[in-house]
Amino acid sequence: MHIPDAKNDSAEKWEVQLRKGCLELAVLAALWSGRLYGLEILRRLESDSDLVVSEGTVYPLLSRLKSLGFLRSEWVESDAGHPRKYYALTPAGKKRAAEMAAVWERFSSSMNRLLAPVSKGR
Amino acid sequence: MNIANHEQQKIEDYLSRLRRNLRTLRAAEVDEIIEELRSHILDKSSSEGAPNRASVDAALSRLGSAEELAAAYVTDSVLDEVEVSRSPWRILGSLFRWATLSVSGFAVLVACIVGYFLGAALLLCAIFKPFHPQTAGLWMISSNTGEWELSLRMGFASAPRNGRELLGWWMIPAGLTLGTGLVLLTTRFVIWCARRYRHSRVLP
Repeated sequence: MHIPDAKNDSAEKWEVQLRKGCLELAVLAALWSGRLYGLEILRRLESDSDLVVSEGTVYPLLSRLKSLGFLRSEWVESDAGHPRKYYALTPAGKKRAAEMAAVWERFSSSMNRLLAPVSKGR
Repeated sequence: MNIANHEQQKIEDYLSRLRRNLRTLRAAEVDEIIEELRSHILDKSSSEGAPNRASVDAALSRLGSAEELAAAYVTDSVLDEVEVSRSPWRILGSLFRWATLSVSGFAVLVACIVGYFLGAALLLCAIFKPFHPQTAGLWMISSNTGEWELSLRMGFASAPRNGRELLGWWMIPAGLTLGTGLVLLTTRFVIWCARRYRHSRVLP
């Protein structure tokens, strides 16, 4: 029986679920200040939130958010010699990001209050 | 941008496999996906100089296999259709596509077919009851061995031997209510399954 491994596995699964739940908000937040193309979004997520996700996860999500009307896209010629697809928030996307951020802030501050004794006791 | 033929060919092979696996999506949507990923692979593999074999391999590896990536796009598209559509026909069409992608999709399709079939059978029995009052309805049919079975009949055939119709004129309100309820419940069940499946998918 490998209980420690099972515990680690369970903690990892929980962390994956947590990151997955945040991903949509993180992508919308990354686009809050202006348009970005896919690779820039990935780099913004890595640098500003430690949210390291694979390209195979982010591109389908961008496509889905676009089909739901939260993002719009446009092709822009680049110096690299090939066009890049830039994404920007639509008004519905901005509203969605603001709503999700408000929920996140409420939830995280109440969780922080609850977790304060746990953090002190570690 | 300088890129060797071998690397270029590798990228094109990957994108061709991806295109093949995206065939159930609209052509314009597939073209957009392919061009976006081509642009991404070129950017990613040239972030530290000219693209070479190692940087192209690394860029492709981060995307995952063409088959898995295509499945992510197609599944998302199917789940979106299922979540927003309320038409049983469109839901069934989307479920057929989902069933080709995963075992979960197949299981939901089977449950959905059973739910819609039973709902439609109840509705049809209720609708035909006024036209075939003696034969349409819910029948309990006994066999010679003492076993019995329930049968929903629209009344086009003659009354079964050793059979007894159970509901009489109550077939009309009961069939309309239960049939409509079952169709609505099946639709809600499918949407619930689609949401659960989307939430349960693990990040690669």
